[in-house]
Amino acid sequence: MAMPGQLMFARRLGPTVRLLIWLLVGASCVAIDARYRALDGLRSGFSLVLQPARAIMRTPFDIAAELGGFFVRHRLLQKERDALLTERARLLVDVNTAQELVRENAELRTLLRLQSRPGQRVVHAALLYRGHDWFAQRITLDQGGGAGLRRGLPVVDASGLVGQVSRVYPGSSEVMLVSSPGQLTPVLIERTGQRGLAAGNGHSRMDLRYMPAQTDIRPGDRLLTSGIDRLYPAGIPVARVSRVSRSQSSPYLRVECLPLAGLDRTRAVLVLIADPQVTQP
Amino acid sequence: MNVATHTAGSWRRILGTLTLAVLLEQLPWSGPALALRPDFVLVGVLFWTLHQPARISFGAAFFLGLLADFQDGAVFGQHAIAYVAGVYLVLFLRLRLLQFDPLRQAAQLLPILLTVQLLVLLIGWLAVNPPTGLAMLLPVLSSTVLWYLIALFVRLWHGKGMQDRA
Repeated sequence: MAMPGQLMFARRLGPTVRLLIWLLVGASCVAIDARYRALDGLRSGFSLVLQPARAIMRTPFDIAAELGGFFVRHRLLQKERDALLTERARLLVDVNTAQELVRENAELRTLLRLQSRPGQRVVHAALLYRGHDWFAQRITLDQGGGAGLRRGLPVVDASGLVGQVSRVYPGSSEVMLVSSPGQLTPVLIERTGQRGLAAGNGHSRMDLRYMPAQTDIRPGDRLLTSGIDRLYPAGIPVARVSRVSRSQSSPYLRVECLPLAGLDRTRAVLVLIADPQVTQP
Repeated sequence: MNVATHTAGSWRRILGTLTLAVLLEQLPWSGPALALRPDFVLVGVLFWTLHQPARISFGAAFFLGLLADFQDGAVFGQHAIAYVAGVYLVLFLRLRLLQFDPLRQAAQLLPILLTVQLLVLLIGWLAVNPPTGLAMLLPVLSSTVLWYLIALFVRLWHGKGMQDRA
């Protein structure tokens, strides 16, 4: 089976030695990346190469979706327009009330000499890619450092909190979803105002941790961000309580919640960027 | 056949198929399709390790493993180590694997692919946090099926297999 041009007695390392060498390199990669986070340059390089490829591979699917939308029936569009007009009228009323409240709130805050709330900017982003979610649930967005994104910013969609920007590349960024295991979100129960800590459990659900057994909480309660972390603005809907159970062994309730944002179907999201000069305490 | 043109041709084929594998993984997979998605890059690397061990082996596997790590947002080295171990297993069993017909070859590949995936799981567990369920073993099955289809295709295309021609 000697190929032309191949030495019959090649002087090269045997496979076992080569395996060991590469395993050593790999292990040091794991250590450097997990402990010191020193390989972010390599990540940026990969993202620069792969981002156009992802955008291109996505195009046929986007075009198919557009074409599918083109052939929507006229009747359906009319119905949708009517619904949107009604909604708009209702929202306009709400906006007027909200403006009035903002003005009043600002006055009251000046009177009380409280810090004014930080201003906010919004960046639109679209889902670019979704990887396997074996250890952490992440999605990749098509906006990155160029659009002013940085680590730690909250990401929302129309119905609630999606997650938090965890890595930023020049033209794309990674978002850790709220349902990702170990991802903590400070929340409060909308009905009672009690604060708590919601953690993702990796199965597209969240757990509300450390709720004492006598807490007033029931299925259907909404959880909002509490804003005490100075990371998420207060009042973004996060999840709805789906099950409350009491365990014999633990002094805390087991509270299971379903995230409100469409974590596995949303396509367009917003990244909230707080104005840095106002957030300084 | 001239050695130089043969070499260039096979390099082109190797790079072409590996690029195709990487591009296939960039498609917007989601839902059950994502959970069942075969590891195209791993299958490509192991295939070329089996048929062209002088060209594609540890180095390429390590690099493409780093790429896979980037894709999943995993810690660097997680897939790289696993891919390298897979290449070693294929090299170790190479002469044996080459004797089988596509179906048996795919059946022999299943334990290798499973080992690779278990290594990914183990390293992720040690370096990051425990995995969420055993859904990560599903791609092993689909990769095995993919291997069977590729081996069948190659057998039909070349008559008896690439090794005899090379």
